[in-house]
Amino acid sequence: MMINYVVALAALLFMIGAVGVLVRKNPLIMFMSAEMMWNAAALAFIAFARNYHDVTGQVMAFLIIATAAAEVGIGLAIMVAVYHRRHRLDIDEISHLKG
Amino acid sequence: MVGFAVIGVLLVLAAIAVVVARQPVHSALALIAVTMGLAMIYLILSAEFLAVAQVIVYAGAIMVLFLFVVTLLTAGKEETESADTLEGQRWAGVILGLLVGGALAVTAVLHPAPKIAAPVVAGFGGLHAVGQLLWGPAFVMLAAVGLMLLTGVVGVLMLNRPEVAEKNAGGGRTLPAGVTVVRAEGEDSA
Repeated sequence: MMINYVVALAALLFMIGAVGVLVRKNPLIMFMSAEMMWNAAALAFIAFARNYHDVTGQVMAFLIIATAAAEVGIGLAIMVAVYHRRHRLDIDEISHLKG
Repeated sequence: MVGFAVIGVLLVLAAIAVVVARQPVHSALALIAVTMGLAMIYLILSAEFLAVAQVIVYAGAIMVLFLFVVTLLTAGKEETESADTLEGQRWAGVILGLLVGGALAVTAVLHPAPKIAAPVVAGFGGLHAVGQLLWGPAFVMLAAVGLMLLTGVVGVLMLNRPEVAEKNAGGGRTLPAGVTVVRAEGEDSA
């Protein structure tokens, strides 16, 4: 098994997700792209776990999955709250959240 | 290797479909395809427990949550994306993203990590092996993740408190353009 191709696939998935976050304005689709970036990171961890025969990488991937679940819960709650107020799904509606 | 190539091509296509889909529902379906393909790659990489966890947590929990919110917020609506506030940000994003991602992928292919010749030990990536680490050396991280999930649950409850939701309802559209107030008056007392 050639691990470097798996890592390259993870890089491609991460890139597509990042472009999705940068390009789209629908917060739901931006969120799904961010999920893809989480997944790409987990894939890289698992690939290196297989390469070095070390289960620690898989533990990291497990933690990534748990973190992504928490992030989705919070993010979708924020989205529903903003939608209740603005009645539009557009990321520019939430631009006041910037620092 | 052939299986991995086929799944990889399908994964990239599904990932592109997530980004370019017009309807969020189509994005969600494509993301389920990405999730399933990744689970298969986890199986190829002998991470059986992670493959099962991926299917249960992502396809079972996260995507159902996504589909609930998509049907709640976008049912029967055709939303067009608003114009860019920053000139040419989309093209800049696409080009820079392609450059960075291409550089990462080429680097990964050209510099393979040193290989271990011996086959993986029996039970590698199984529930027992992962659990031994999670409840042993990595227990601090497991506890931290549990705390974080609890914080997430409490945060969701705080974000959608019933009294706040009632106050917010209906107030949105009447705000004149250019008003930058985000918090409604009197919300602090709630």
